Amino acid sequence: MRKSLCVLCSFLLAALFIVPLAHAQTPPGDSSRSEALEEEAQNIDRMIMCPVCPAETIDQAQVEISFQMRAVIREMLAEGKTREEILDYFVDRYGPDILAAPPKSGVNLLAWILPIVGVAAGLGGVFLVIRAMTGRGSVPSPSGGIPSAPPNTGTGRGRSRSPAGVAAVESTTAPEGDPELSPYLEIADRLLASRRGMRPAPGELPHPNPPPEGDGISTISTSSTPETGSNG
Amino acid sequence: MGDLGAISLWLALALAAYSSVGSVAGKLRGSVALVDSAQAAMYATVVVLFVATMSLVVSFIGHDFEIAYVARHSDLAMPDRFTWVAFYAGNEGSLLYIAMVLSAMTAIAVWRAPERVRDALPYTSAVLMLVLAFFVAVMAVMANPFDKLPFVPVDGEGINPLLTHFGMFFHPPALMAGLVGISIPFSFALGSLLARKTGDEWVDPGRVWGIITWALLAGGLLLGSWWAYTILGWGGYWFWDPVENAAFMPWLALTAFIHSIMVQKRRGMFRMWNIALVNVAFGLALYGMFMNRGGSVPSVHSFGASTLGWVFLLFLAVGVIVPFAIFFWRYPLLKSAQNLDSMLSREAAFLVNNLLLLAIAFVTLWGTVYPLISRLISGEEITVARPFYDQVNGPLMLGLVFLMGVGPMLPWRRANWASIRRALMIPAGVAAVVVVFLIIPSPPGGGLGWGRPYALAAFGLAAFVATGILMEWYRGARARHRNSQENYAAAFLHLIWANRPRYGGYIVHLSVLMVVLGIVGTSFFNTQKDVVLSPGETASIENYEIRYLGTTQIPFDNRTEFVSSVEVYRDGKLLDTISPNRAFYPSFNMASTRAAIRSSPVEDFYVVPSENLPGGDVGFRILVNPLIWWMWVAGPVLVLGTVVALWPEPSRVPARAPARATAATAA
Repeated sequence: MRKSLCVLCSFLLAALFIVPLAHAQTPPGDSSRSEALEEEAQNIDRMIMCPVCPAETIDQAQVEISFQMRAVIREMLAEGKTREEILDYFVDRYGPDILAAPPKSGVNLLAWILPIVGVAAGLGGVFLVIRAMTGRGSVPSPSGGIPSAPPNTGTGRGRSRSPAGVAAVESTTAPEGDPELSPYLEIADRLLASRRGMRPAPGELPHPNPPPEGDGISTISTSSTPETGSNG
Repeated sequence: MGDLGAISLWLALALAAYSSVGSVAGKLRGSVALVDSAQAAMYATVVVLFVATMSLVVSFIGHDFEIAYVARHSDLAMPDRFTWVAFYAGNEGSLLYIAMVLSAMTAIAVWRAPERVRDALPYTSAVLMLVLAFFVAVMAVMANPFDKLPFVPVDGEGINPLLTHFGMFFHPPALMAGLVGISIPFSFALGSLLARKTGDEWVDPGRVWGIITWALLAGGLLLGSWWAYTILGWGGYWFWDPVENAAFMPWLALTAFIHSIMVQKRRGMFRMWNIALVNVAFGLALYGMFMNRGGSVPSVHSFGASTLGWVFLLFLAVGVIVPFAIFFWRYPLLKSAQNLDSMLSREAAFLVNNLLLLAIAFVTLWGTVYPLISRLISGEEITVARPFYDQVNGPLMLGLVFLMGVGPMLPWRRANWASIRRALMIPAGVAAVVVVFLIIPSPPGGGLGWGRPYALAAFGLAAFVATGILMEWYRGARARHRNSQENYAAAFLHLIWANRPRYGGYIVHLSVLMVVLGIVGTSFFNTQKDVVLSPGETASIENYEIRYLGTTQIPFDNRTEFVSSVEVYRDGKLLDTISPNRAFYPSFNMASTRAAIRSSPVEDFYVVPSENLPGGDVGFRILVNPLIWWMWVAGPVLVLGTVVALWPEPSRVPARAPARATAATAA
């Protein structure tokens, strides 16, 4: 069933994505050189602002000067000039603000670097926040004492669904594969799942009402495994 | 009529100011009567502003050119239906429209507010009335739509020809309503803070209004793109214009907000974060309105720079600083009820999603202000336009698409690797198949090769997300079909109905994928050609050929239209005869084009006349734009998804519907 579904989906998507593209492709022809030049010309058009119209590139603007500038670009390309030479030519004549993006050099490197640094810092920040919120950082966990509990009390384990399901983050709180405990934990999980009308399998399991404090799982496992009574 | 309007404005100002002060004073002194009367004043602003609005409408229809605004934005030749557009063609009318919308939204929000936020409601209402008072005051003092001319002109100047387009009936009003509408979730958050109700009380109205304004902005942006595509005559639809950005940034912040508010709704987490987010969204919306009303950066939308800019800048500063000051003042009260269980959970995915969305907003903001910064640092004029945004935001957007595929597959609280593998295996497999297929040269594959890694990645990711969503639908429908013997169609509809927020979200995600298809198709695979043709001449592009037959001039009262007649052939066969046209408006000294577009899901064939030369020669721009059709279809799908997500829960049937949904989706 799953296999056929998979095949079906791939066909549907392939049809959706590929058929249009197959049409969109240009077969290479004799005129490929002039087409390549025109494509490059259009790329350059999109990098140069129209000097007389607000916020439009010469590719967009339909005024006399942008027609002329486009013609100049095509002439220079035909003479064998490179993209850089053409851009420099326009910068010399009109100043740096003729370029649609800040040059990647000098002071203006700042424009490009700051976003990258900012995003990297943000990612780092989010990572730290998540780590702190999962209770492994300096913030102590509300259920108490997981990091400091002796490794074999099972306190940490009781909070997870099943040994195989422990996320990597949890792995230090108790040694993996504690063979004596796992059958009990599984029973507890099953009980817990049936009592809350939930299945242990992952997937969409919405909480109609999140428990007000602590989490239900640790409460129940506390009552089923006596040695976890040392909480708090 | 004008006098009635002007009087109404001052009355609205008085009512809004009274309502704002009265609510807070009544609440602080415990006077129910005062709070009630302040609320009555709030409702009264709707009536008074409606009177003002109607006075302006009547003045337009009656061609009352003594009113300067009417004389500037309409003329005798203007058909009555354009009154709707002329109304917001300038600053004054836009402000009146914004005030009208804000006051109506406030009334509905307060009227429909759930019992749980009752305590905070006077503060919420006060904040909203303060915002309203600002708009009305600016209007009354600096940009009064009812100001009179010292004489009565015979005819008006007429409406800006760029505005006489179907898209203009919805694009500006949707965007303005969206921008000002952010005040509503923002005020619910701020009101809760002021009332020391810092729990989850405000989450429901905050989410609902967040989604409403989000959809208004999204719809407005799409309509604006469509308008640009059909009328601006260069074949594109989005170019990171400062004013486009001004609406795009708050939309991004709102997108982050409507995701992370779900975490608070479900799990009681991210309390501080949600308030901070909605503050940011409000700040960006104010920035957007500042840009619209005469900002500092050149834009195609600059409708006459005016001194209004400075007032809006001041309001922007106050609107950012004060809410954050209150936020930090109440900070000690804002503690989440829950801790995050695992890095591998939907909550964590939402956090990363928020980060990426804010990163795009931040990059965009940085791009918008960099010209000013550069002027300050080096004294050098620098432009930041499309190439910059494409290069920096492109990868971030791809990351978002990826998260859109992963996030919904992760369970709340904690996932395990085995289940993730199970949920993502098929989508990843399909994505791989699509990518490989695209790389294979020549038919039947796409033959993209490795030349366009971005496009490959985008198509692969889109396939990944789409498969995930379709599988989820299929599994749910199958489970219902088996359990209840419903046929698949009924099972599918019931599935959606049983968990509307979730499935509405999926529908919206699909519409986002359609937009992605359109963007990738046009950015990486379009072909464009500029040609000048004499009558009878032909030009070819890809497998299309056009033959230009000739141009007819049609004189109208306010313009001359040059309608070209063009035959379109594909693979040598005549497809159609189309008539792209270009109109010249002498009173505006301005030309406006209407592209002729043959649209299909595969590709658009697009012809627009860019110049009419003497002797009947015409400069045409011809484009083949693959997949852009999907972008315009995304609009209605997005609206549908939003409506499904927002459709209210039946209040008297507790817990039954959600329980069924759980059974259906988990099976």
